[in-house]
Amino acid sequence: MVSNLFVKDRVAIVGAGITTFMRRALETPRELAWEAARQALDQAGLTLRDIDCVVIGSAPDTFDGVHMKGEYLADGSGALNKPMTRVYVGGGTGVFVPVSAWWHAASGLCRTVLAVAEEKMSPAHPHPQYVFRYIWDPIIHRPLEPNLIWIFAMEMRRYMAKCGAKKEDIALVSVKNKRNALDNPAAQVAANITVDDVLKSELLVWPVNELDISPVTDGAAALVITNENTARQVTDSPVWIDGIGFTLDNQHWENRELAFPRYLNYAARMAYRMAGIERPWKEIDVAEPYDPFDYKELHHIEGLMLARPCEAWKLLKEGYFERDGELPTSPSGGLLGVGNPIAAAGLMKVAELFWQLRYEAGKRQVKKPVHKAVANAWGDLMQAGTVIVLSN
Amino acid sequence: MSWDKHGRIHDLIFWPEREEVDKYVYTPGLHGLELAKALVEGRILGMKCSDGSVYVPPKTFCPDFGEGSLVEIKGPWRLQYYTVVYEDLYGNRLEKPIVVGVIKPDDAVNGMVHIVNVDPGKVYVGMELKPVFKPKDQRKGTIADIQYFEPA
Repeated sequence: MVSNLFVKDRVAIVGAGITTFMRRALETPRELAWEAARQALDQAGLTLRDIDCVVIGSAPDTFDGVHMKGEYLADGSGALNKPMTRVYVGGGTGVFVPVSAWWHAASGLCRTVLAVAEEKMSPAHPHPQYVFRYIWDPIIHRPLEPNLIWIFAMEMRRYMAKCGAKKEDIALVSVKNKRNALDNPAAQVAANITVDDVLKSELLVWPVNELDISPVTDGAAALVITNENTARQVTDSPVWIDGIGFTLDNQHWENRELAFPRYLNYAARMAYRMAGIERPWKEIDVAEPYDPFDYKELHHIEGLMLARPCEAWKLLKEGYFERDGELPTSPSGGLLGVGNPIAAAGLMKVAELFWQLRYEAGKRQVKKPVHKAVANAWGDLMQAGTVIVLSN
Repeated sequence: MSWDKHGRIHDLIFWPEREEVDKYVYTPGLHGLELAKALVEGRILGMKCSDGSVYVPPKTFCPDFGEGSLVEIKGPWRLQYYTVVYEDLYGNRLEKPIVVGVIKPDDAVNGMVHIVNVDPGKVYVGMELKPVFKPKDQRKGTIADIQYFEPA
């Protein structure tokens, strides 16, 4: 991949906000968006008048049950009478939102961008899982009535077989993230659990048990993203967006090697190159790999080149990824602990890194000094990879 | 290749699909919940923002992103613009045409869309209207609890 990017302005994050993540919110989707967006503006010390452009991220309209959800969310996202873009790459949307906000600001088109991601999973009854039926190829997959967890179970199995990881090694991710989430006031399913609890929870699709998966969640997250000049005016501690990356792989996932997330690796290389990072495993201080399933965090740690392929689970066992470890991952509690409102979950991860890099994460603050951070999100049928590299 | 040219639909192999989500359950939102309760009591609520402007119905946040406070809308209501509907959603001719309009309370900056129970020949912009609620035991806390608006 050769990138030939003409970047006019350096871009920074100056404010972040998230709602409490919960199972069934009384708030309407636009009210959730408003809550997060207002918090982000408050932290930046800005008002809606300072916002030039708005980027809204949301997964399928069929979750909230409102078609053209970007337009629906516009007033709650502060987008009225402003240039508004809605971006959508499935679960990858959460990180694609700041990526898109970055190009709005880096190009010089907009000075200050409000980036909002919202998802309300609870309106679809009996379960939002059914919405996923429509992401399959209608000719060769759908007649088999596949369930989303099927293919992730196969991917997990492939990772276990190729890398020699056992169920109990992978369950440690769930234990770590749910424990990290205990310190997160926004968290939905924080808990002190053991590997045994994960193994004994309900078996859904072998080898995936209930506690291997993130929950169904309503929530929103928002960032204020601006160019260097404005950032220096409004804060002493901007968090810079050093690199972004996004790539898409084939929808026919059965044609791929599932043990290694190639879709993510290409996106990560693009972002690291832009950020001037040559040895991410040494240079990155804290990471928020996307963890809708526990094996997925290990998978993504390897895709982000924070560990060698097939070695993340070994390092995890040694405590390498704990909050006081060498390279803390998901200090927020991740999707497994905080919750998974699809698009908002990825943006929550970027917000967490923003707070970590400003030493504002409170009890969640990682022990080591932090300078560089990376987050990723992943969407569709193991297809979409989105990456953002930040520094303070 | 066009399906139409190929022949009858049953000569082709096709993959039928069915709708999977049975239904959607929407929540009313923070101010929406208060509005629902008020509608059951036969009242309509609006939202007053920090600059004094009133919006109806309320939706918790104001255009400037501040939080609004709830106020009761007393009227008078006036017809701002309207249209006359002659066919239903499926193209069937209606027995009696329906007047639909945006009805604005004098003290609010915007209006609400609703049915106006008035003869299409007699309707005019600026007409003063009042809401007519369904009988109390039929109210469910939705916007349809207002049966229609009629000349005051």
